[in-house]
Amino acid sequence: MADIAIQIENLSKLYRLGTIGTGSLRQDVQRWWTTAVRKKADPYFQLDANAKGSTQALWALQDVSFEVKQGEVWGLVGHNGAGKSTLLKIVSRIVRPTSGTVRGRGRISSLLEVGTGFQPELTGRENIYLSGYILGMSKVDIRLRFDEIVAFSGIERFLDTPVKRYSSGMYVRLAFAVAAHLEPDILILDEVLAVGDAEFQKKSLGKMREVSQSTGRTILFVSHSMQAITNLCSKGVWLQNGRMKAIGSATDVVNQYLSDTQQSNLHQSWDAPATAPGNDLIRFKKVAVVPQLAALDAPLDIRTPLTVQFEFWNQTDDILISTSLVLFASSGECIFDVPSTAVVCQAGVVRGECTIPGNFLNDGSYYISLFVVKDTSVALFDFENCLSFELEDYRGDIKWYGKWWGAVRPLLPFRLTQVETAVY
Amino acid sequence: MQAPFERPAPPAAKWDWEIEARTSWWGASLAEYWSYRHLLVGLVRRDFLLGYQQTILGPLWVLLQPIMTMLTYVVVFGKVVGISTGGAPPVLFYLAGIVLWNLFNDAFTGTSSTFSDNAHIFSKVYFPRLLMPVARLLGYLLSFGIQFGFLLLLLVGYWVFTPWRVPPVAGLPLALVALVLVSVQSLALGLLFSVLTGKYRDIRFFVGLGTRLLMFLTPVIYPLQHVAPKWRWLMELNPLTSQFELFRWALLGQGLVTTGQVLYSLAVTVVLFAGALLTFNKQGDKLMDVV
Repeated sequence: MADIAIQIENLSKLYRLGTIGTGSLRQDVQRWWTTAVRKKADPYFQLDANAKGSTQALWALQDVSFEVKQGEVWGLVGHNGAGKSTLLKIVSRIVRPTSGTVRGRGRISSLLEVGTGFQPELTGRENIYLSGYILGMSKVDIRLRFDEIVAFSGIERFLDTPVKRYSSGMYVRLAFAVAAHLEPDILILDEVLAVGDAEFQKKSLGKMREVSQSTGRTILFVSHSMQAITNLCSKGVWLQNGRMKAIGSATDVVNQYLSDTQQSNLHQSWDAPATAPGNDLIRFKKVAVVPQLAALDAPLDIRTPLTVQFEFWNQTDDILISTSLVLFASSGECIFDVPSTAVVCQAGVVRGECTIPGNFLNDGSYYISLFVVKDTSVALFDFENCLSFELEDYRGDIKWYGKWWGAVRPLLPFRLTQVETAVY
Repeated sequence: MQAPFERPAPPAAKWDWEIEARTSWWGASLAEYWSYRHLLVGLVRRDFLLGYQQTILGPLWVLLQPIMTMLTYVVVFGKVVGISTGGAPPVLFYLAGIVLWNLFNDAFTGTSSTFSDNAHIFSKVYFPRLLMPVARLLGYLLSFGIQFGFLLLLLVGYWVFTPWRVPPVAGLPLALVALVLVSVQSLALGLLFSVLTGKYRDIRFFVGLGTRLLMFLTPVIYPLQHVAPKWRWLMELNPLTSQFELFRWALLGQGLVTTGQVLYSLAVTVVLFAGALLTFNKQGDKLMDVV
């Protein structure tokens, strides 16, 4: 049985809100009087759940418990303000919990920010030592890895120049290089991979993977890149408003999180023409994007085929109608404008359906407009932004995590063949 | 229901560390402080390098600053106002006072803003917080060492070239006593005030004002023997007074100090330091929510 590296038990953290000013001194005196002198409960800082809605305090974490075994890589997901960073700060011993306990085995190093303790006036060489010491490395550790750190950062020529004259990219590279060569038993990382250019991100993620896989180090990791979490982590926790919403394998947790958070408008319908959007000629009855998913709770990703279905009331007899499906990226850029065949319709309900294949769009947010046309030339009604959906990234075996370029990402037949082998 | 495969860890299992809501009075263990010794040296080095980065005269300022202050004092207090310096040459008298006062003043002011100055580091990484103020103090002691060396050189110069006689060398260790007590007092006050300035920034103004007033209650620019006897008790309440008198008595053979006063100062220092250290450790972690 694997040893437990970190045990988190009923962890809660309450923050007092508001500024510290003249008022807070009075509060402090009052608190001291009631708690220390009269031995009563703290008037401002009560440890009950009612405090949640109050304006005085905020539960950043509430009743969080889980166990991390040695060698496991855990990913923490959640919205901004969900308590991920607070949790990391408590485990790193930076802030104290309000209640609950964290126990652990082994030396912890935390990297909540790239470049902590960097001193702009000092040279690169001095900063490598100083920030190494601050992160808990010993002099021998740093001396042993000094060349490696310098090579990883690629700043050999600027080693004896004050860091303040570095470009911001060089600064980040050097700072990350020091951190990447830390060798604690438990490593705590907060969104540090989001810095630097695409090439450097790739390099740092590679380093992270190497560290987590080859040395069996325990890692707690916060990132907004779901791709990075599913690739690097084996286990995951989803925090929402300070509480644990889900826990389990990283892929499961990420899927649940994504399907919950996707900002989509996949379905709209109207019962009577009177309230439906449209005009005297056309009124929409129903619009929907139906994803063809294997599981109900799976998130929409770029592999998912999507069927757009719609119905509208047509008020005119013997009219030649066609419809255009216009897809826009979140930036407002039009990705495509696809016309349907034109059909002669009578008054009544007309249905349309169009399938956007999987493995065609890039990841991102999209919205759809439906444009109804008479005689393939005269506009009848433009139903703007009637549907929207979000596609998550999926990369399979590709070990690159930068933003994928392009409006579309079609799966085209693409083959490499070796036609000749060199003979030496 | 399936039986759980994993049993809870046996209760005997030892944890290396444990984080609870309660803050400790002791801060970190000695072993932990020891493991961070390189950081301490690194911080002292950083402070020293930073002080003189991009200056033309560099570390020479360590000497220039007290020398220039001393010259001002010699002219203003010695010549213009005419305050007596007892038997000692005014140059040596003022320099000894300035060097020791600067140590106290710098170390106290420098460490009293520990939390507000280092909030950006403290909120991102853990190390025993005490390292920061101690590193500051060590940095100032380093400067003091250089200034003290210069003072000794002057002393020898006066002994060789003027009829003035230095006191017996045997008294020199007493200067060390004064040095230790003054540095511990400055650190203790600094720790105490760092907790206060961390939460209430206005306390910083009191620190600046307070040290300036305290300087006049301490025999820095005048000898205690020139204070009217009926006010001397007020001066002697100040635990710094006996240390300044002791320091000058050891170096220049001029000072008014009794064993009782030194013991009083020692007792105050010990109590103050113990209280400050415990407060610093106990309140430090709580402060991280507000700095």
